[in-house]
Amino acid sequence: MTAVTADHQIAPPRRGNARRLLLGAGWIRAAWMFCLFGAFGFGLVVVFRWWGGWHPIIDMTVVTLVSLLVAAPIGFLAGIGAFDYWAYYALGFPTRPEDHSGHGARSWKDYFRVNTDHKVIGVQYVVTTFSFFIVGGMLALILRAELARPGMQFVDTQTFNGLFSVHAALMIFLFVVPGFAGLANFVVPLMLGAGDMAFPRLNALSFWLLPIAGIMMLSSFLVPGGAFACGWTGYVPLCSTHQPLGAIFFNQGVQWAGASSIMTALNFLVTIITMRAPGMTFWRMPLLVWANFTTSLLVVVATPFIAGSQFFSMFDHVMHTAFFDPNNGGYPLGYQHIFWFYSHPAVYIMMLPGFGIMSEVISVFSRKPIFGYRLMALSLMAIVVLGFSVWAHHMFVSGMASWLRVPMMITTLLIAVPTGIKVFSWLATLWEGKLHFRTPMLFALGFLSMFVIGGLSGVMLGSVPIDIHMSDTYFIVAHIHYVLFGGSVFTIFAGIYYWFPKMTGRMYNERLGKLHFWLTFVGFNLTFFPMHILGTEGMPRRVADYAPKFADLNMFISIASFGLGASTLVFLYNMITSWRSGEPAPSNPWRAMTLEWQVSSPPPIFNFDEIPQVVGSPYGYGTPGAQHAILAPARTGTPEEVRVT
Amino acid sequence: MRRGSVAWLLVIGVVAGGIAAAVALALPWLPTPASREAGRIDFVIWFVIVICIVIFSIVAAALVYSIVAFRARPDDLEDGPPIHGHTGLEIVWTIIPTVLVTAIAIVSAIVLSRDDALGKNVLHVDVTAQQFAWSFTYPDAKGLTSGTLMLPKGRSVQLVLHSKDVIHSFWVPQFGQKEDTVPGLTTTLHITPDRLGTFPVICTELCGLGHSVMRTQAVVMTPAAFAKWLKQQTAAISSPNPSVSGAAVFKNNGCGACHTLTAAGTSGKVGPDLDKLPAYAAEAKQPLESFVQESIVSPNAYIQPGYPKGVMPQTFGSSLSKPQLDALVQYLVSSSKKG
Amino acid sequence: MAAHAHAEHHEHHGPPAPHYSSRVPPGVLGMFLFIGTEIMLFGSFFTAYFFVRVVNGTPWPTPPFHLPVFVAFVNTCILVTSSFTMHWALQSIKRGNVWGLRAGLLLTFLMGLTFLVTQGREYSRVGFAPKDGGFATIFYCLTGLHGAHVFVGLSILLFMTIRAFRGHFSAEHHHGVEIGGIYWHFVDVMWIVVYLTVYIL
Ligand code: HEA
Ligand code: HEA
Ligand code: HEC
Ligand code: CUA
Ligand SMILES: [Cu+2]
Repeated sequence: MTAVTADHQIAPPRRGNARRLLLGAGWIRAAWMFCLFGAFGFGLVVVFRWWGGWHPIIDMTVVTLVSLLVAAPIGFLAGIGAFDYWAYYALGFPTRPEDHSGHGARSWKDYFRVNTDHKVIGVQYVVTTFSFFIVGGMLALILRAELARPGMQFVDTQTFNGLFSVHAALMIFLFVVPGFAGLANFVVPLMLGAGDMAFPRLNALSFWLLPIAGIMMLSSFLVPGGAFACGWTGYVPLCSTHQPLGAIFFNQGVQWAGASSIMTALNFLVTIITMRAPGMTFWRMPLLVWANFTTSLLVVVATPFIAGSQFFSMFDHVMHTAFFDPNNGGYPLGYQHIFWFYSHPAVYIMMLPGFGIMSEVISVFSRKPIFGYRLMALSLMAIVVLGFSVWAHHMFVSGMASWLRVPMMITTLLIAVPTGIKVFSWLATLWEGKLHFRTPMLFALGFLSMFVIGGLSGVMLGSVPIDIHMSDTYFIVAHIHYVLFGGSVFTIFAGIYYWFPKMTGRMYNERLGKLHFWLTFVGFNLTFFPMHILGTEGMPRRVADYAPKFADLNMFISIASFGLGASTLVFLYNMITSWRSGEPAPSNPWRAMTLEWQVSSPPPIFNFDEIPQVVGSPYGYGTPGAQHAILAPARTGTPEEVRVT
Repeated sequence: MRRGSVAWLLVIGVVAGGIAAAVALALPWLPTPASREAGRIDFVIWFVIVICIVIFSIVAAALVYSIVAFRARPDDLEDGPPIHGHTGLEIVWTIIPTVLVTAIAIVSAIVLSRDDALGKNVLHVDVTAQQFAWSFTYPDAKGLTSGTLMLPKGRSVQLVLHSKDVIHSFWVPQFGQKEDTVPGLTTTLHITPDRLGTFPVICTELCGLGHSVMRTQAVVMTPAAFAKWLKQQTAAISSPNPSVSGAAVFKNNGCGACHTLTAAGTSGKVGPDLDKLPAYAAEAKQPLESFVQESIVSPNAYIQPGYPKGVMPQTFGSSLSKPQLDALVQYLVSSSKKG
Repeated sequence: MAAHAHAEHHEHHGPPAPHYSSRVPPGVLGMFLFIGTEIMLFGSFFTAYFFVRVVNGTPWPTPPFHLPVFVAFVNTCILVTSSFTMHWALQSIKRGNVWGLRAGLLLTFLMGLTFLVTQGREYSRVGFAPKDGGFATIFYCLTGLHGAHVFVGLSILLFMTIRAFRGHFSAEHHHGVEIGGIYWHFVDVMWIVVYLTVYIL
């Protein structure tokens, strides 16, 4: 693999004697500090319980939580070196001036250490999250294999429930949400004309939290009693008091993932507000930046609520508190309100960045300015505001106060309006354009059609009487996948193809790309469209076994889903081979105007020689001589010259 | 707009809409309603589907047309016209959706209030959900309890939902209505059955290992038949010295939902076939009677090979009175010996 | 490859001087946004409080339990005072008065510590455990959450103090103190809210 940023010699050689190997930041130190902190956590529990006179002194649940799920991961982070700088600062050592040794990647090894270069972190994000997509998808395929025929064939009920719970948890908390953050991590600073994010070290930390969260959730399959099996929504009291140990792996895993996305969001907000290049007013920002700005607002405000909900559920489980235990003065529905107050905005956290990618791709590949730029930005804002006022549409049948239903229905339906504005504006952008159907554009158009279907099924669910019939059936499952796969995932694919040249400095294989699109598009519809019918006919979701009359459709879906899965192989093959040996990419293969395309592919280590001067709209296509920004003349010297200097 | 494009848009739109409509109509979407509420809900569904199809065909038309008409040759390096927006258009596609969704909201709100409005002479039924069984109590009939939901046709029924452990959800697809049963709260659901027949009662909220098997039946009968059924059942419990019949206990606790027992005419497949109890007892090397007793009181003590652990409710030990339990055990022993 | 030469060119000078498009320094803005999320976190806990106390109508405090309102009041005063010493510390360093900074930070730290210890004593004496019903749960979790924040605040103060004594701060460079201070004030204000809702109301 070629490195993300071109070679440079600043960093000290990372070969060293045994002592440095053991104490220097890296995987070895991570390993032993992981154990050390784990042991420390264990000791802490024992001492406290002994001191407080609790019995038994060694309670497996508490020990697992404190030592394995909290202390040990912190040890890992400290070991890998995520805290080094802050530790120096805290202990009052003179903080070393940034020598940029944390910047750039020379070999594949540099992707496996704490790196403060937003471009490297971006790639780390994308690769990591995508691996979680594959794992989550594999789980889904096992799920489908089990569901192919009525009755139980391959797994028992506990495992089955675990399968869809972990599937969803990984897909949402470790693929879509951080996946978008990863792409934005690479692109946003470049688009803003900034050298890096506002807080590079925080950025690195927020990446390293992800593997922890993901591995935590996956490993819940290994604990006695089986994986957490209460769905990604973790409704109480099922998840709090009727679940095996595995449940807290979910509760705590969500905390790590949530912390990560909050940190990234803070970073984006600060970067976008304080580090825009001169001349880059808010109304000159590319819509992708707008999208991530609004998304980050959602994250910052909403995510603490899921943290809260998981804390409560976990405390009920571990400390037998009474948040949601009706027999002890608790209120079960409270969980759902708190959870959905995050998790509905979360679905827009999983869509708005995609909207941003779409705006870039569609405008570039139809060679036209984005239609109604300001309204596009404003509708993002509208979605953010409305998004906070609709959470109870997940609770229409939950037995909550019935007067809440109609107001929530109205706000829910209203969200169709700003979303519609975006859809129609994209269509208007295509209109009379010069459409070039490269792979990103194909995925963009695929998104447009699929997301509208998913959105419309959403509007159906938004109507209370319909939802009363459809809720918790496969119709919901269909909706989920049309918006999340046909929506979010398609945009992620579009984004990966679109920025692949910039990230790797090489072109992907266009023919394989197109093949991948068509396989995915067809496989996707064959897999998920029939689920609408299953649902309305009366097949509930989250069932390991179902009435024989649904057998044929389920068999069909399962077969299709394996096709869909296989289509991903094409993508993987394309990415890996192209990254290794694709043809070198020019700096601006798509003739785009946004800033990231004005620098070399891959971008130089510090993005820009001098901070560019922004002079106009990022979408000036069709206007002769229109410019988005003026860059310092890139003095591309021949290698000789460089050696002389 | 270039000439003819409008015409083309119309054509494509109509085609797309036609296809979508055909799909919607051809597919066996919705179960035939068996309650007034379901009927109304179906109306809303169709009302919204029509709107959705219209919108989908508009989008599809614009999309397909652009793909065909505005495709650029790869070597064509020109840009499109620099159109940055059009206020008129933007207003239009803000207003129209607003109107449409408002219409949806109004229709839904009306139907909702109609569905929730109780008729006169309401029949109250207490629905109790537990992992993983349903039981239905008729307070007006001396607290008669049944494992299957018996309802008279054409009478407005209010279900009062309780849960013993976790959240479950009561759903009969043909009735359309659905509501969660929440521990610590009582929720209600209103149904007016209007079609005779037997329909599945499905738990639609994930409630644990047995979620997918938490099923029973709802039977809609003529008012006369219903009255007759009530009389029979109440007679059984209100006789001076209630002879607890094992058969009744078996019926009322929803055993049949999961177990096959020829004597009781049930054919559940979730749990072991109770006609074969003697054989099972032999396998477990326990005397039949104590084996059955134990299996009911603490099901997980011995798990029948090939069947899920923790699915059979753990609560019968406490919920059944001593005489009921004995009667039940005797009943199972005798009938399984016969069958 | 042009890209390469282009890139290599930069080895010889560091990154371009960053351009700031806002008057607020990134650190301060970041801290304020972070406090925003913290407020939302407390918000979720207060939502739980709302459900247990208002929706469920739990008696407050649930007999036979009662809360040491007075001790808590004294504690509150201590914490509030610590906010002023913090402010004083910041003002002094702005005027270049290093000793004022050191004294201010030290005092603030000590008062914060006193608060935390008192809170701990209260836990061990209050006579009920988190599992004793809705009231107990909410009491422990709200005060506990706040306690955790005091702990974080104290750690930050500790680091500040260390650096202050090592003489890292000056009239020009005192961002650390400023940002840490903002957080400490937040912890303070939050306590007043918690005190009012849990003890007084
Ligand atoms: C990317 C994620 C995503 C997105 C974008 C959406 C978007 C929407 N969702 Fe969805 N939703 C989920 C992810 C998402 N959802 C998930 C994961 C669940 C299940 C959670 C669980 O596991 O329980 C869920 C569940 C869910 C429910 C609860 C169902 C139930 O459990 O009972 C409801 C009910 O109202 C709903 C509604 C909507 C609506 C109205 C929109 C709207 O935002 C859609 C707006 C878009 C359009 C409408 C299309 C384009 C618009 C036009 C072309 C204009 C013209 C349109 C009209 C005039 C109608 N969703
Ligand atoms: C972004 C989100 C996302 C994505 C991408 C997916 C992708 C898929 N999902 Fe999932 N799903 C959810 C989010 C998502 N899902 C959510 C939120 C739920 C609700 C859970 C709950 O109820 O709590 C859910 C629930 C859910 C269910 C319902 C479970 C139930 O209620 O009982 C099903 C059932 O079919 C399903 C199937 C699939 C399938 C087949 C895919 C496929 O698209 C997967 C395709 C991808 C791969 C297969 C991986 C790549 C494959 C390879 C690298 C090659 C290997 C392949 C072969 C060997 C053939 N999902
Ligand atoms: C939700 C489904 C369900 C319900 C309701 C249910 N059972 Fe079971 N039952 C099972 C399952 C599954 C098993 C097998 C697992 C086991 O042996 O515990 C089982 C096992 C048994 C066994 C032991 C059989 C053997 O070979 O081990 C007996 C006896 C039994 N049930 C009787 C009853 C009676 C009597 C009732 C009603 C009062 C009842 N069951 C209700 C699911 C159910
Ligand atoms: Cu009960 Cu699902
Ligand atoms: Cu939602």
